[in-house]
Amino acid sequence: MTEQLTINPKLDFVIERFIDAPARLVWDALTKPEHLKEWYMPKAWGRVARAEMDVRPGGIFSIDIATGDGREVPNLGCFLDVIPMERLVWTSMLFPGYRPAVFDDIPITAIVTMESVGSGTRYVFTALHRDEADFEKNMESGWRKGTEIATDQLVEHVMSMK
Amino acid sequence: MAQAAVADDVFYALSNSTRRKVLEQLSAGPATVSELAAPFDMKLPSFVQHLSVLEQSRLVKSKKRGRVRTYEIAPERFKVAEDWLAARRRLWEARFDRFDAYVKQLKEKESES
Repeated sequence: MTEQLTINPKLDFVIERFIDAPARLVWDALTKPEHLKEWYMPKAWGRVARAEMDVRPGGIFSIDIATGDGREVPNLGCFLDVIPMERLVWTSMLFPGYRPAVFDDIPITAIVTMESVGSGTRYVFTALHRDEADFEKNMESGWRKGTEIATDQLVEHVMSMK
Repeated sequence: MAQAAVADDVFYALSNSTRRKVLEQLSAGPATVSELAAPFDMKLPSFVQHLSVLEQSRLVKSKKRGRVRTYEIAPERFKVAEDWLAARRRLWEARFDRFDAYVKQLKEKESES
């Protein structure tokens, strides 16, 4: 699946960075629990308490974040599309093993692409939302800010892996 | 799903105090998402993620009537945790029984000599 994604600015949140490191390192930072723990949660807000990744279609995506007061909140989903060092897609609309999830939440489907440019990597994270109401809630709550801070931490962490 | 994976899901679901409190509340009877969320000072999407972990472990089940989703306990999966703990307890108790019998035997030998 390498077709061009059509972005709908009313529903899709896109964040893009050039990381001056090979795609191999970016891939490891995105898929290995020991690396995710270093960047996924904004450091001023808390930490990653637990991460489990089974990086294949249908595999588990699970990251528990702990806030400053010690409270742990899970993020649970299912990988849909995995092309090493190129593309990673997961959704919180499904439980692991493609089992239909049941909840009233703001689910997203996340599409991450990596493209080698010279000695570095163009990293694009896209979060698809169900509808404008979901999108607006995520833009106004801490979700957007958290994602931006985490992306900066990702870039910093990948540079430290070199 | 393999039995070990089921136990993983169940014990993971039980490993968080928010989720255990939800199970305690549901033990009293079915409740809606907002009733369950009320005692917690937590944003709804975060709280709902806890419900999704419980639902994934199948310790609870939910149904939707109109716009309201109601959760209830699904007792079958509690047996997975219970059975695992009971098996450990049986082993320990059997070991203590054997230890007890052996000490008694030593005591009898001592009084014979």
